[in-house]
Amino acid sequence: MRDLKYLQYFEDLLQQANNALITQAKADGKVIAAYTCENVPEPLLNLDRAVSIRLSAPNTGSIDIATYYMTNLLCEPSRALLERAIEGGFNFADCVITPDGCTMMNRCVENMELLKTMGKDNPNFFHEYMEIAFKNTEDDVDLAVLQCANHVLTPLREKYGIDISDAAIRKAVDEHNRVCRVIRAISEFRKEEHPRLTGYEFHVLCLATYVCPKYLIIDKLEETLEEIRTREPDDKPWRARVLVVGSETDDSGFIKLIEEQGAFVCCDRFCFGSYPGRVPIELNDTEDALRQVCRHYITHCHCPRMMSMDKVYGRKKYVADLAKEYRADGVIYQQVKFCDPWAYERMLGSSMLHQDYGFPVLSVDRPYNVSSSVGQLRTRVQAFVESIEIKKIQRGENA
Amino acid sequence: MCKCKLFNVLLKVLLRLLAVVLGFFVVTFTVYFFNLDMKATALLAPWLEKWYDHLEHNQYL
Amino acid sequence: MKTVEKVVNPVRRAGEQSPGKIYDEKLKVRARREWRGVKDTFYDYTRWLYLMSVLGRFIIVPRNVKGFFRYRWMMSYLFVPHGMDKFTVGLRDEALRIAHTSFNFVIADVTQAIANCFRGDRRVGNDKAYSDKCVITDENSMVTFMMGFDKEKVHTILREVPTMFASNIFHQFNVMHYLDVAQQNGIPGDVCPMPEAEAGISIDDDFCVLGCCAVQNNTTCDGSLMGNGIIAKRLEREYGIPTFQLATPLRHKEPDVMDYAANEIKKAISFVEEHTGEKWDWDMYFAAAKRVNYATKCRIAQMEINSTPYPQFFGAAFSLYNDTNYMGNSGRDPQFLKIDRKLLDLAERGYKAKRMYAKEYRHRAIVWGVQPQYVIDMLYWLVQCWGVMPLTDMLSVINTDMIAEEDTPENREQAYRDMAMLNMEMIMRNHTHGGFKVLVDDLWELCEQMNADIVMMWEHMSCKALTGMHGQFEEQARERGIHIMWVSHDLCDPRVFTRQAIRDQVNSYMRTVMREEPLDPSLEIIPDNEAY
Repeated sequence: MRDLKYLQYFEDLLQQANNALITQAKADGKVIAAYTCENVPEPLLNLDRAVSIRLSAPNTGSIDIATYYMTNLLCEPSRALLERAIEGGFNFADCVITPDGCTMMNRCVENMELLKTMGKDNPNFFHEYMEIAFKNTEDDVDLAVLQCANHVLTPLREKYGIDISDAAIRKAVDEHNRVCRVIRAISEFRKEEHPRLTGYEFHVLCLATYVCPKYLIIDKLEETLEEIRTREPDDKPWRARVLVVGSETDDSGFIKLIEEQGAFVCCDRFCFGSYPGRVPIELNDTEDALRQVCRHYITHCHCPRMMSMDKVYGRKKYVADLAKEYRADGVIYQQVKFCDPWAYERMLGSSMLHQDYGFPVLSVDRPYNVSSSVGQLRTRVQAFVESIEIKKIQRGENA
Repeated sequence: MCKCKLFNVLLKVLLRLLAVVLGFFVVTFTVYFFNLDMKATALLAPWLEKWYDHLEHNQYL
Repeated sequence: MKTVEKVVNPVRRAGEQSPGKIYDEKLKVRARREWRGVKDTFYDYTRWLYLMSVLGRFIIVPRNVKGFFRYRWMMSYLFVPHGMDKFTVGLRDEALRIAHTSFNFVIADVTQAIANCFRGDRRVGNDKAYSDKCVITDENSMVTFMMGFDKEKVHTILREVPTMFASNIFHQFNVMHYLDVAQQNGIPGDVCPMPEAEAGISIDDDFCVLGCCAVQNNTTCDGSLMGNGIIAKRLEREYGIPTFQLATPLRHKEPDVMDYAANEIKKAISFVEEHTGEKWDWDMYFAAAKRVNYATKCRIAQMEINSTPYPQFFGAAFSLYNDTNYMGNSGRDPQFLKIDRKLLDLAERGYKAKRMYAKEYRHRAIVWGVQPQYVIDMLYWLVQCWGVMPLTDMLSVINTDMIAEEDTPENREQAYRDMAMLNMEMIMRNHTHGGFKVLVDDLWELCEQMNADIVMMWEHMSCKALTGMHGQFEEQARERGIHIMWVSHDLCDPRVFTRQAIRDQVNSYMRTVMREEPLDPSLEIIPDNEAY
């Protein structure tokens, strides 16, 4: 396939946490609201002059200092983020808002706060920690509304004078949805027999929407969508179609590694991915916007820390439904090493997807920076792709 | 005479009771102090482990 | 660095002086019991008889024999006397009596819990009428939501306590099988072994199956929360036992989570009412609340005694008794009142007599972090080998606020908030969750309050909440001039750190950093790695 016009541009943006567009947004007078978890309602960080940036640590190398602070037993993303913060890589942030979602990410941000890694020249800088929902009930929506009001909206207004009105929230949701709709439209092409973009390209585009100011990339995303519409797919078929599920994946190298083995990543269900993070938020005019946004995040949340059994079973059904919708031949459950929530979810999910829904499943753990363990992962994916091909042959289909 | 007999019977009973109590104490204290209860259990444990190993379990996830 | 005044024991300990040298490596148990002088040996012997009678009364019930041969974890309970000996190493006088009074009661409580499990268990006793009135709860759960139910009519079954938690105390290897099962099924080895073992027990079908419903809780950590799903799936889908997930906020010091937490308690109560057919009784609740407050007062008094130069109630018995009373009981059983009173009397008597339990107390330590189950005698060893007195531990530093105990309309609403507060601040999670202040800052306050110069920091390898603050502990301890002694372990997996490997970390610290010699060199190395 012909290269996408802006692929290199987006790839370059993903090479460092403090990318060129963040610098531009700062120059535009924006307030950078950094966050670390998909459970923070993103549109609320994009109100008025505020711009959300999800923290990531691309091209992570040594994480020795963070390992001193948090030991080598905590997950690599949490240590990588702390290391980057200590190095000054997140100095662009005007605040950090994090939910007490998983213990490790919470400790990561607490260490950032105690070590005063950010906000040295900004008297308005603040850290906020949110309690987040565990279940899908109206009580949980109440909790989320209160938490967002106390830990997101009020500090943004008090510290930076951000407009937190209902109208501002609706406007932010519209802008958020515009990005989501573009990503959704691009995602649709992944359902094709001969897809006209790769899973890697999709991940790069999707990832950019989390780590770059959205208002600065939306035009290029829309142009890319138009470009894809007329793009000619390759004739060479993929050996298998896989759905990737699991803990946060902000390293597109992982998707590339899978696709290099001939498996097309036809769908994603992980943090920094398009499901559920890029599902548009539908608002009605009768209820206040904040409550609707919170309800959307609770209803669509498939984070393993949601503990009610409807969510436990629902997460697996969600994956199975996506796999059917995107015609996946198999599912890859991946977990970043030392991640407790996904350690359990991977075990139960890989078992249920196979036993209850009949999908071939590969269950792997991986490092944060995939380049440090390419050989092992490649072997696992190769074997998985071959096993899918053998199953197809046994069923009399073309491999 | 009767009183004397009764006294003898009572004395015998008491002595027997004392002997039982003393016997009980000697035996149990020996078991206690030399940890014979736990030593016997420790000898039994490997057999029990084999017993539990051979039980069939319906593993379910 | 901070120093404390050394306290020397003017009295020579009765009986033998080196209690550590009585392990028989071959037999994996002690070669004999400790000679404590005539009076204390006789006392210890009578308590041994009592324990034997508890075990004897348990095993003469046929269904208990059946259960014994069905469940692997039951093997641990053959070693109860061996386990009890771990709690009394080197103890004399009041401390010996305190250890027996508290832990004998815990053992009797656990024995009753097993008997209850077997009675209702579908595979063993299969008493359906009884089972239909049983509510299963987590091992690490506060049972405040059961405080208003008549315990004669609704039975709270902390199924995981005898199966995993307590069984590991008596037999260090008995949980390994379940860890292996969990890992064979795909859980990585780096998660906390406690919820992992519980998940393994469920996968291996080695939990008793009983109850009309189950209430689960996100107790101490992500692993604990996540293990629930695996257990609930089996309960619901295979055994048809409905489960309720009692969501408990993590940031428990923030007032804006209280309404949610209180509502969750209300829902849990409604769930229990619905499935047991029994009604919540406010008289029951407030009577239990009075007992909770009494237990709190006693615990505070014990802590006050421990803040003096002559601590009395210390070591694992202190934390495990608190654990049983505070969480497993939550004021429901009036028998605890008597025990609380007796323990306090003994401690006061010991304090007045200035009783000491080692040749000297050189240091005063706060024990922070989570203790390993398989080296439960470590704190007794610490004081006798090195003269480091463990004043209290993180698991015993729990709520000190009184809850509403008078039945008024306002207090009924307050009661939900009290239950929620206790639930949120259950043992361990009150420090491991809720932000760094309750984990780090609270420790330094406690050091001040208890006049401690050392923190013995259990570094439970898989406890991410603790290890995530490793560097902060190090730096802040240095700033405050407090010694911090890291002792790594893996909670209930002795393959990762053996008992001696754990003690060696203390030995090295005391010799190299503190430049001290042990009070009793014979205790430095104890051949108990292979012991049960």
